[in-house]
Amino acid sequence: MEARTADTTELVDSTKKSNYHRNKVIKSIIFKVIMSLLILIVVFPFLWLLLSSFKYEKDIITYPPHIFSGKYTFQNYIKVWDTIPLLGYVKNTVIFAGATMLISLVLDSMTGYALARMEFKGKTAFYYFVMVSMMIPFMVYMIPLFIEMNKMNLLDTYTGLIVPRATTAFGIFMMRSNFVGLPRDLDEAARLDGLNEWRIFTKIMLPLSKPTLMALAVFTLTNNWNDLLYPLILTTTSSMRTLPAGLALFTGQHISFYGPVMAGAVISMLPLFIIYIFAQKYFVQGSAMSGMKE
Amino acid sequence: MEEIDTSVSKKRSFFRFWNQPKHAAYLFMAPSIIILLFFMVIPLIGTLGLSFFNINIFFTGTKFVGLDNFVQFFHDQRAINSMWHTVYFTLLETPTQVIVGTVAAAALSRTTLFNRFSRSVFYVPVICSLTTSGIIFSMLLDPNIGWIPYVLHQFGMSTPQFFRDASLAMPSIAAMTVWKNFGVTMTIMLTAIQAISPSLYESAEMDGANKQQQFFHVTIPQIIPSLGFCVMTNLIGSMQVFDQIYVTTAGGPEFKTESAVQYIYSRGFSAPYQLGYASAVATILFVIIAILSVSSNLYMSHKEKQMR
Repeated sequence: MEARTADTTELVDSTKKSNYHRNKVIKSIIFKVIMSLLILIVVFPFLWLLLSSFKYEKDIITYPPHIFSGKYTFQNYIKVWDTIPLLGYVKNTVIFAGATMLISLVLDSMTGYALARMEFKGKTAFYYFVMVSMMIPFMVYMIPLFIEMNKMNLLDTYTGLIVPRATTAFGIFMMRSNFVGLPRDLDEAARLDGLNEWRIFTKIMLPLSKPTLMALAVFTLTNNWNDLLYPLILTTTSSMRTLPAGLALFTGQHISFYGPVMAGAVISMLPLFIIYIFAQKYFVQGSAMSGMKE
Repeated sequence: MEEIDTSVSKKRSFFRFWNQPKHAAYLFMAPSIIILLFFMVIPLIGTLGLSFFNINIFFTGTKFVGLDNFVQFFHDQRAINSMWHTVYFTLLETPTQVIVGTVAAAALSRTTLFNRFSRSVFYVPVICSLTTSGIIFSMLLDPNIGWIPYVLHQFGMSTPQFFRDASLAMPSIAAMTVWKNFGVTMTIMLTAIQAISPSLYESAEMDGANKQQQFFHVTIPQIIPSLGFCVMTNLIGSMQVFDQIYVTTAGGPEFKTESAVQYIYSRGFSAPYQLGYASAVATILFVIIAILSVSSNLYMSHKEKQMR
């Protein structure tokens, strides 16, 4: 009798356990199915764009639409250079986004460094100035900026595109947080060794900030590479357009040839995508930093 | 000899002066501050100034008109509509993006291979420009060749015109924006969720809380500050919506998707190039955004104090 009760409790226990286990497996399968569906929603547009950019025009405009096509061609990638000045767009984007990134890395880290590790008159005021600057949207002051650039003959020039973006309040904020986190005795020791302020900054502090610098680099690069309104306003001729502004104006709301437009879209996002594959953690870090609160 | 000496020592003392941190700081900050002053602060003041003038892009017939531009705004149905469209977009986009991003972050918070892969994938649209997203979705939603109408049709639904349908255009744009940007919210929320101390979950488990209860009673309260930040930045960002509308519908059909920034842009930078009036509209939009950001800032810090 006693033995039987022990047996049944064991049995109940083990069915409970296997039930629990089965529930867990089912839950994990449901979870993976939902996530895979979401992945499909995110990935499909890109895959379809990529595949279609290699299709003949008549295979793109079929109904019902097809994912794959019998024949593939490079024709769109050749045609797109003829139909829009894409090479110029690429060049302008690389110069604008690249130079802006490099200069802002230097200027933002200098300002962030001063705000983080130096004591001076008006420090709090400068800090609040930067914090408030972060919240001022570009569209609010774009018209006077356009007039200013026009008066200085800087419309349609690389200088005009780069200089206003050569520092960002967010970049300063990000670098400041980075420098605040470095150990206090580092610069004091360096000062005792007779290093001057610039040397301390470049030889000791910057090398320790590489991860944040990388995160800021990809952050500003992506922002400027993808920006539409800013280059749209500060450039008026087609030869100075960047990729987003050029593509947007080219496609407008009426797309007459799909193939070349798709090829152009692929070309415009490919460089960032390649950088993303190799430097993913820095992209994510930049976004995470933007959500950091003090 | 003496002269050289003094010049050397002058140089030295000059160097010594600027090498003191309390002075060097200004040199370190000078370039950034000058740029911010010249290309942000001055134009910002300029916006307010311009809104009192009738001024066009060719600077012909510039005239001081006082508050006329602001008065005109309240009689300009298209301007007021553009504000409403912006609010409509914000109300559609912000909650959806925050919810999708937060749920994705919560679901993917454990670091497994599958989860890491999913996170990487969800971030890809973030690095894609709104212009490119707009181009892709114009084609995917195209009633003649698009996949989405086709799939809906397969499920027996009628195939709407999406971007060309007055009532569906804005929701379509909002959905596309969520698709493009929820990775940002996910990343921010993921950082917040992963920062929660595991001991909180352990004690909740000991109290017999199941996973759902844990989510609502441990996770949510812990991530409120980050959640608030996401809502706030999303609200403010959505109020400035431009790129995706410019590329997909250009404000149509019948100005039904024209946002405030889109209106400012077309007023200022296409005929009749009314920079003064466009500045007045920009000033109004700025006041709205400023009220939003200041009040949500105050609300959040009040909430945080309450929780402490």
